Amino acid sequence: MKTAFITGITGQDGSYLASLLLKKNYQVVGLDSRKYSLGYENIKAIKTKIILEPGDLLDLKSLSNLIKKYQFTEIYNLGGLTFMPASWKNPAMALDINTLGVARLLTVIRDYSPKTKFYQASSAKIFGLPKQSPQTETTPLSPIDPYSVSKAASHFLVNSFRLHDHLYAVSGILYNHESERRGEEFVTRKITLTAVKIKHKLANELVLGSLDSQQDWGYAPDYVKAMWLMLQQDKPEDFIIASGQLHSVKDICEIAFSHLGLDYKDHVKLDKQFSRQIESKSPVGDASKAKKILGWKPEVDFKTMIIKMVENDLQLIKKENNL
Amino acid sequence: MSKKVLITGITGQDGSYLAEFLLKKNYQVFGLTRRTSTSNYDRIKNIVDDITLISGDLLDQYSMANAIAEIQPDEVYNLAAQSFVPTSWTQPVLTGEFTALGVTRILEAVKNAKPDAKFYQASSSEMFGKVQETPQTETTPFYPRSPYGVAKVYGHWITVNYRESFNLFAVSGILFNHESPRRGLEFVTRKITHAVARIMLKKQDKLQLGNLESKRDWGYAPDYVEAMWLMLQQDKPEDFVIATGETWSVKDFAKLAFQAVNLNWQDYVELDQKFVRPAEVDVLVGNASKAKKQLNWQPKTSFKEMIKIMVEADLEREKAL
Repeated sequence: MKTAFITGITGQDGSYLASLLLKKNYQVVGLDSRKYSLGYENIKAIKTKIILEPGDLLDLKSLSNLIKKYQFTEIYNLGGLTFMPASWKNPAMALDINTLGVARLLTVIRDYSPKTKFYQASSAKIFGLPKQSPQTETTPLSPIDPYSVSKAASHFLVNSFRLHDHLYAVSGILYNHESERRGEEFVTRKITLTAVKIKHKLANELVLGSLDSQQDWGYAPDYVKAMWLMLQQDKPEDFIIASGQLHSVKDICEIAFSHLGLDYKDHVKLDKQFSRQIESKSPVGDASKAKKILGWKPEVDFKTMIIKMVENDLQLIKKENNL
Repeated sequence: MSKKVLITGITGQDGSYLAEFLLKKNYQVFGLTRRTSTSNYDRIKNIVDDITLISGDLLDQYSMANAIAEIQPDEVYNLAAQSFVPTSWTQPVLTGEFTALGVTRILEAVKNAKPDAKFYQASSSEMFGKVQETPQTETTPFYPRSPYGVAKVYGHWITVNYRESFNLFAVSGILFNHESPRRGLEFVTRKITHAVARIMLKKQDKLQLGNLESKRDWGYAPDYVEAMWLMLQQDKPEDFVIATGETWSVKDFAKLAFQAVNLNWQDYVELDQKFVRPAEVDVLVGNASKAKKQLNWQPKTSFKEMIKIMVEADLEREKAL
């Protein structure tokens, strides 16, 4: 039986990946960092089918104990400090978890379980203000905030260990991916949830930094399939996973509000406080390599995704408020 | 009143040369040192009475913040690091904690306690690793190939980030290899000159080396610390490549070092696989045109002169033992 270890299992990606791997008959072990009681809601449905082991990316000993004990077939490192603006408040923490956490995992794999395949959650943010558009696996990295710098450093670290110690270690450069389980601090979820609250008179307005900001947004359950595919290849390689299309914050507002029979213009207020200190240009990914080698392509389109998120938030708000 | 400067890594090769250089320029020099069970003041023994050593550690945010707040330095040079590439493979996490995280801690301390201080970050040509173009300039994309190189890339980018986001005068000097009689014995250049001196004095028979064909752009450390200072005297903060623009192989180095004492290198050098670096970086060679133009900097000491200086210093030292 194949065993998989997922760090960040209570997060959006971790929980979808766990479900996918359970369907594929893996034994799924999740790292449970008791410091942050985040996202247990996301794994409620599968809680009895997975094993949660206490440990922390900051704690080498906890990682080496688990890796020695299980000799995992695959490790997916999805844990980390993932909200970019927070990385400005605590840049040292972002590095310690996101980059040194990877160094800890890779040294333990190298020394105690060298056959284990390793997936690192890289991010489109490593391109910063991209030097070329769309970006491919060979576009130079140019990160512009502590979160992105930590992700770029871990990207190179995976690459170094692959070459130096011949580990099956890969980075998936995933562009933004959203879902019903996205954290409320991210703009997509903030919009769908607030729109639903406005619909039910539980909120008055939606405050945003900018309407024109554009991103390459995909659907998280599609993206976790790509993670798994990357570990089923003959040789370890990095891949870009993206929709290849840009949409604006305004597009999200239009779809979400009109699905609820509202006009976003009546409810959205702009506030500079939410605009980022250096707003990056719009990165857009070219996933041709993944399409060709992994046979991967996104299945849920942008509009369908936003509507799914709105529908889910409707159910959630109804339940929470006994509507 | 004289300017105040804080140097991390003051007991190292670059730190000690920089401290001497700044003392001559009438700076009041403070050095951050870690308490260790064996003192490591060899390189600063001549100036130890002229500088102030402060106890602190790059791993300890609190000590960094205190040092900056108390000294209120005009300039801060971050030269401390776990700087030996092979060690970064056995201790990648510790390397990251010193070499990458340490930079963030100092930048945070500067931002909070002395935001108008000028900050110098010691970046490295190891950031280019698998080189994306030759020669390398300030705009060449990075592709590090060791945990040391990765940590240095982090330090470089976080410095640029703090400059762009908080308007700090923070610069990164991308220095190619630079050697001197104060280079640590674990580095190949010093390993060679040290062995040459010992072979000359019949204390040793052979010299074991790894990859003889490895090529680097090697400069002389005292020339390079001047460039660090020049970078902080500019009107605006910018990054610079500091290099000689010439490449020489380990074989060239060995040949010239043995020649300096009239010996033939082939009679003494043996190959040993254990010193071969895996995932070896490509030929690194820097283009320092920007530094030449804007800082009016150029190397003064040639490759041959440097080797001669290093061999002679090792001979002196070995004779005195």
